[in-house]
Amino acid sequence: MKKENLSLKEIFLKDERYRISYYFSLEELVLSLKKVGLISPPLVTFRGERCILVSGWKRVLACLKISLSPLPVFVIEEENDLKTFLTAFYENLATRKFSLLEKAEILNKLKKFGEEEKRIVRFYMPLLNIPSTLSLLDSYLIFSQLEPEVKRVIHEKNMSFPSVELLAGFTPQERKLLLPLLLPLSQNKRKKTLEDLQEISKKNDVSAEKILKTKEILDILGTKRLSPLQKADNIRLLLKKKRYPTLSTWTDSFNSLLKRLQWPREIEINPSPFFEEEDFFVKFNFKDQEELQASLHKLQELASREELSEIFKFK
Amino acid sequence: MFNSKYFPQRVYIEKGSLNFPLTQRVLKNIGQVPTEVLEDTTSLLENMRISRDVIEQGKKVLLLTSQRGEFIKSCPCTPGYIGCNYYIINLDLNCPLDCSYCILQHYLSNPLITVNVNLEDLWSQLDVFLKRNKERILRIGTGELADSLALDHLTEHSINLISYFRDKSNAIFELKTKTVNINNVLKIKPARNIVIAWSLNSSKIAQEEEIGAPPVIERINAASKVSERGFLVGFHFDPLIRYPEWEKDYREVIKKMLETVDPTGIAWISLGSLRFPPSLKAIIKKRFPGTKIIYDELIKGKDGKLRYFKPLRIELYKKIIGYIRDFGGEQIPLYFCMENEEVWRDVMGWVPRGKENLEAYLSFPLDQSKIKLIY
Repeated sequence: MKKENLSLKEIFLKDERYRISYYFSLEELVLSLKKVGLISPPLVTFRGERCILVSGWKRVLACLKISLSPLPVFVIEEENDLKTFLTAFYENLATRKFSLLEKAEILNKLKKFGEEEKRIVRFYMPLLNIPSTLSLLDSYLIFSQLEPEVKRVIHEKNMSFPSVELLAGFTPQERKLLLPLLLPLSQNKRKKTLEDLQEISKKNDVSAEKILKTKEILDILGTKRLSPLQKADNIRLLLKKKRYPTLSTWTDSFNSLLKRLQWPREIEINPSPFFEEEDFFVKFNFKDQEELQASLHKLQELASREELSEIFKFK
Repeated sequence: MFNSKYFPQRVYIEKGSLNFPLTQRVLKNIGQVPTEVLEDTTSLLENMRISRDVIEQGKKVLLLTSQRGEFIKSCPCTPGYIGCNYYIINLDLNCPLDCSYCILQHYLSNPLITVNVNLEDLWSQLDVFLKRNKERILRIGTGELADSLALDHLTEHSINLISYFRDKSNAIFELKTKTVNINNVLKIKPARNIVIAWSLNSSKIAQEEEIGAPPVIERINAASKVSERGFLVGFHFDPLIRYPEWEKDYREVIKKMLETVDPTGIAWISLGSLRFPPSLKAIIKKRFPGTKIIYDELIKGKDGKLRYFKPLRIELYKKIIGYIRDFGGEQIPLYFCMENEEVWRDVMGWVPRGKENLEAYLSFPLDQSKIKLIY
């Protein structure tokens, strides 16, 4: 490996064969370059006449942004793509953690450059903190083939493996429809939405695309007064109702009964989770004797009402 | 008649287990299957775990090894639900059948079909166990972590186990199976405390979800033969699974069962609805992409397992029990596997006073006076 100074123009950035990182922010690195310059030289190699970037995409793109040229580079004199890629891999492995999509890219490149599947599973996957199974290799290889806009969302939202796995199970068209619904949701709600949609689709033999284009969902999406979060949340709840129709009916009936009983808001009443047990739970706050007495009085009044017996049908 | 006896593609024998009589018996019965003696199984298991479907790979291999610890364990019931004080003998582990809903896919870390060959240790452990519990009537079986008869043409466990238990006055021994591998059972003399039990399901579920298992009608016919031979038989409708037309299909199988097998020779029928730990769902999705059974309304129960929303379970049980009663099974003891008090009360009309009470209820083949119920 020799150190050289190269003009930015000499690096052929369209060849991304060794690239594993995308969708990063350059702001901090640009600031650093402006203050102290490029301290750690990127790795390049030559393929024919062309100089190809091996490692240091973030650094080079930041240099490009502020036209910092020429820049110091290390030139790898190795013709084998796998060996060249491994130099970049180990350089990164020693200095940082890889994101889920970077891991997918690494595994994809290893396979593309001819590394044996079994060696990838046994040797490289543990280095990436992935359990050694061919089935997981398959999943990561699928992730590496997802559409760029999907990858961007996965990266920006730091989506978990189970969510990405669910997302990867939909068609490209379905993923396109799903992205705006997933963006505003939290990690857990996102996963649950994907899971419910997948399971409704499988149970009823109806494509997710068809479900996402039903009138109910299109109506929510077309309601102007709703924010993107409200739309996503309403669709999440609608899918939940479709996935658990009996449970949803029970929950709705329970809540309607509370309304009919004019159950006081300050006294929370809940059935056991999923109505699995016969018990009900009541919770209220008080800060003095007077408030305690008031709540107990209300409860006593509710307990004496005949309509309350209806609540015990929910068990 | 369904005739698909299990033969592995390869047999591995742990070096220390080579000279046991059971090892030699299996090798004699297995015929021309490649065999290899291993110092230990670590690298074999490591290689297997890499594969795309470790469970499927594991079913192709038979491992003959020795049980280092206790053979007898209390059946791992589930917190918050009523258990039945059942004991299991871990003689074989894993099953050559491939039921989509099988808990073993999640439960066992060793994917290999495994036979523990140190039977001598089992007999001495059983002697101590039965002596220590001589005041109770114990229900013991081998069908929790394996199918009791799936390997019987190789191991001949049924002959040895029935011979051991026949004169044990405080034990009811159960062999539980989905197979029709009954040749050895039919060869031996029945005993009042031996129950040969079949897991049954609707024909549709058996066909679509119980890969490698004989059709339900074959199982019922096998039960009939065993019953006619003089053994008590049992049935386990577990897991009961909902789908469109489940009522018609379960009614049909229950009718057939009670028409074919003499109800007075049925020791018990257990009922359990589909349930599994959430982590099994991912395994089922991956291994059985065509199945729909995991997409019904399954909620997280008190024990963290996914199970049908309670009103759906109650509906399922009430219908099934109705069919059993309608077709002549009024006197057959019924019990739930892993159900809660509310479901017992609502469906059966009584709740066992704990595990011991249920144990006594199910000990009727030996002692009718032990039946004490709460109504």
